[in-house]
Amino acid sequence: MEDGLRGSGIDSGLRADLEALVGADAVVSRRSELKVYECDGWTIEKNAPDLLVMPRSTEQVSAILRLLHRRGVAFVPRGAGTGLSGGCLPLAAPVMICTSRMNRIVSIDLSNRRVEVQPGVVNLHVTDAVRPQGYFYAPDPSSQSACTIGGNIAENSGGPHTLKYGVTANHVLGVELVLPDGEVVELGGPAEEKLGYDLAGAVVGSEGTVGIVTRATLRLMRAPQSYRTMLALFDDVDTATRAVSKIIADGMVPGAIEMMDRLIIGAVEAAFHVGFPPGAGAALIVELDGLAAGLDDHASRAAELMRSCGARSVELARDEAQRQLLWKARKRAFGAVGRLASNYATQDGVVPRTRLPDILREITAIAARYRLRIGNVFHAGDGNIHPIVLYEERDADETRRAIEAGREILKACLAMGGSLTGEHGIGVEKLAEMPLLFSPDDLRVMAELRAVFDPDNRSNPGKVLPRPGSCVEVSAPRRQVPL
Amino acid sequence: MQSNQPQQKRGPARDVVDYELLFDCVHCGLCLEACPTYILTRAEMDSPRGRIYQMKALAEARLDADADVVRHLDFCLGCRGCETACPSGVRYGALIEQTRAWIENNYRRPLSDRVRRWLIGALFPYPSRLRAALTPLAIIERAGLRPLLQRAMPRGLREWIELVPALTGNGARSSTAPAPDGRGPVAVHHGCVAQVLADSANRSAERLLGAAGYKVVPLPRTVCCGALDLHSGNRRRALEFARANVRAIEQSGAEYVISTASGCSTAMAEYGELLKDDPELAQSARDVSARVKELSLLLAGERQPATRRFECVVTYHDACHLAHGMGIREQPRALLRSIPGVKLVEMEMPDLCCGSAGTYNLTHPQAARELAQRKADAIAATGVDYVVLANPGCQFQIAAELRRRGARIKVMHLADFVAMAVFNGNEAKYSDRIS
Repeated sequence: MEDGLRGSGIDSGLRADLEALVGADAVVSRRSELKVYECDGWTIEKNAPDLLVMPRSTEQVSAILRLLHRRGVAFVPRGAGTGLSGGCLPLAAPVMICTSRMNRIVSIDLSNRRVEVQPGVVNLHVTDAVRPQGYFYAPDPSSQSACTIGGNIAENSGGPHTLKYGVTANHVLGVELVLPDGEVVELGGPAEEKLGYDLAGAVVGSEGTVGIVTRATLRLMRAPQSYRTMLALFDDVDTATRAVSKIIADGMVPGAIEMMDRLIIGAVEAAFHVGFPPGAGAALIVELDGLAAGLDDHASRAAELMRSCGARSVELARDEAQRQLLWKARKRAFGAVGRLASNYATQDGVVPRTRLPDILREITAIAARYRLRIGNVFHAGDGNIHPIVLYEERDADETRRAIEAGREILKACLAMGGSLTGEHGIGVEKLAEMPLLFSPDDLRVMAELRAVFDPDNRSNPGKVLPRPGSCVEVSAPRRQVPL
Repeated sequence: MQSNQPQQKRGPARDVVDYELLFDCVHCGLCLEACPTYILTRAEMDSPRGRIYQMKALAEARLDADADVVRHLDFCLGCRGCETACPSGVRYGALIEQTRAWIENNYRRPLSDRVRRWLIGALFPYPSRLRAALTPLAIIERAGLRPLLQRAMPRGLREWIELVPALTGNGARSSTAPAPDGRGPVAVHHGCVAQVLADSANRSAERLLGAAGYKVVPLPRTVCCGALDLHSGNRRRALEFARANVRAIEQSGAEYVISTASGCSTAMAEYGELLKDDPELAQSARDVSARVKELSLLLAGERQPATRRFECVVTYHDACHLAHGMGIREQPRALLRSIPGVKLVEMEMPDLCCGSAGTYNLTHPQAARELAQRKADAIAATGVDYVVLANPGCQFQIAAELRRRGARIKVMHLADFVAMAVFNGNEAKYSDRIS
């Protein structure tokens, strides 16, 4: 029954005011209850908010933010808490605003191929709502059965099919945004071609630092007429990644090219019994989609290219059930890794596609150096790697090694001309690496853009941009509840 | 910087659960949308991931068992939908059962709670007591006054009474004499509440097994399977019940044992785990668990009795423990599809809990009602004639909700529905009569 307000700098009057705005059942202030909000899918760092508010409408979000503005209180938005970079970890924000109850699909407009949703709508539920009519929402992160559109917009989420269809930024036509002072603005809009600066574009990927999105207009895509989904097995990741480059260089744009290494294949096989042979060093899932005519030719061409690179076998999914099983195995691979270790940290770096063999060799070396197991399951087609570093949180030394290994991998990505994040966002995980990718001028300009939306630095403070003047090396973990 | 000395692993401060099981959860959140209570409140405390977090905090003595924690843990239906969604293989059912047993020993509930839980525990597992308690209602029903009584009741009580199916149906039906050299033998565990309120399903199952050529043998003694106690934290009595059933099933000589209540099937299928430390019965419990089957499995293939043509549209509701606990989804559907004329259509989220969940609709009537309404909406949207399911609890819950809204959709147990097709009956003979 302990109250969470002690020593947080916010008085209990704030709770009463919030309850007056949204009702007592939408404000959580007990410490035992707030504890479950102390981390998302990035579990290395933890910090519970002092108050949690669960609004149901734009009006409520606006009223909450007006109140916080008046009192000068910072806040952090949260969706389903499936993020992998600690984007919704409260750093200097006493109040957490969770949009999970704003889960209404506002309107579906198939003739104009768009859908309007509240931020708490689950990604997969958008596609579910339009699937019978032959449409889908393209960004499909692995957590799509639980993650929310609001979180997708904050982190500019991707997914396997971004290779062909692009990331969240390519599918958000407009947003309704509540600014940190409570003002409601409409950015972008339903029209396909926008005039002026792309302000909705600035909101996508801003990781909750510019306010709270309360409604989004999303682009719908026509579902492909047909799919050819192949599973190719290789002896090692080297040959598999070379095959990826070969396919792309041939001019094909598959819907997705996904890779799994030996460690992941083992975990996935134990969980889902897909039928991966023991000992396969790497697997590629290659999916071609589009008009049925000509698709078979493309599929045999891709298979031929993979065989020429040394594929041990290339198999076409017999039917939709087998295709679904392959995707289930791929999309739930992260969780399946939980069978191998009690904790893992999923990294999210990007390298040019042709450097995939190099970065994977580097990751193997880093794993050996830090005495860690690291698995790889990733979007090979666009060079977006996801090394999964296994560790045991009860072993403080191993936890520290896991964090350091992750940092080294990111540095290696940058050294190969890549980037810090493909789709998980900076969060708290990669804050310290931002100055490695961006110059002080870059960071200043970004801070100025952010200040246009959030001049008082109250919207998810401490995220995306490292505090000016702070040194690059931040000793981690920054925050952890005493265990 | 690097130290070569791995630090000592921290252990739990309190023996709440099998501590290592907690570390299977990697906090990915894929369970959220598979959890009925998260769907209702959309709060992390009411999600499987959040509950596991609370269990861990309890075990590490970072949290004490107070009214809030207990409320969130009690709120769980125990449907195990999260186990199906979990890619990491978390054994949530075991975790919540262990936690609840710990809570019962370490937390003092308010008086009203204690009285309600005592009443449920003293009444439901004992068929003779339940029959006696229901006698007044049966008399009122026979006099034709039950609708009047229900209307006169305050809402909360009325919703409970509405769950009780008609008590004056023509329950007496003889089982067909099975061939003495039949396959099997099979024993049907009649359950506790089920033998009072859903005996029709038990008898239909026995008739069907007989018609499929199995020898049906009685159990020398039938006591509650123990699931009710296990789910409410009364582990001690659950173990007693489990031991009695293991002995009875062994004595019967049955090669297979089935229950028409999916919660009981799952509980019996897990006796091996439950009694694994029992010095005397561990091996027998494992044997008995391996013999637990589902009716549709035994009726599959060439064993399936011939049925008449039966033109109707049907939807199948997955009882939680059958789908999430035993992984049985396809076989009952295949059995339904094999009946000529039956058209099977799927409802939205057929494996989302209907809110019945053992005695959940008695302890959490409001949440149970909301889930029943969702289920009824999903069923109504399919436009079917029948909802078929394989668990009496779901049957009462869904039937009550459909009756409330005056829907003409009939709710039938799988055993009754198939028996109706095989033995050419009509549903009045098999389902609870609609009052």
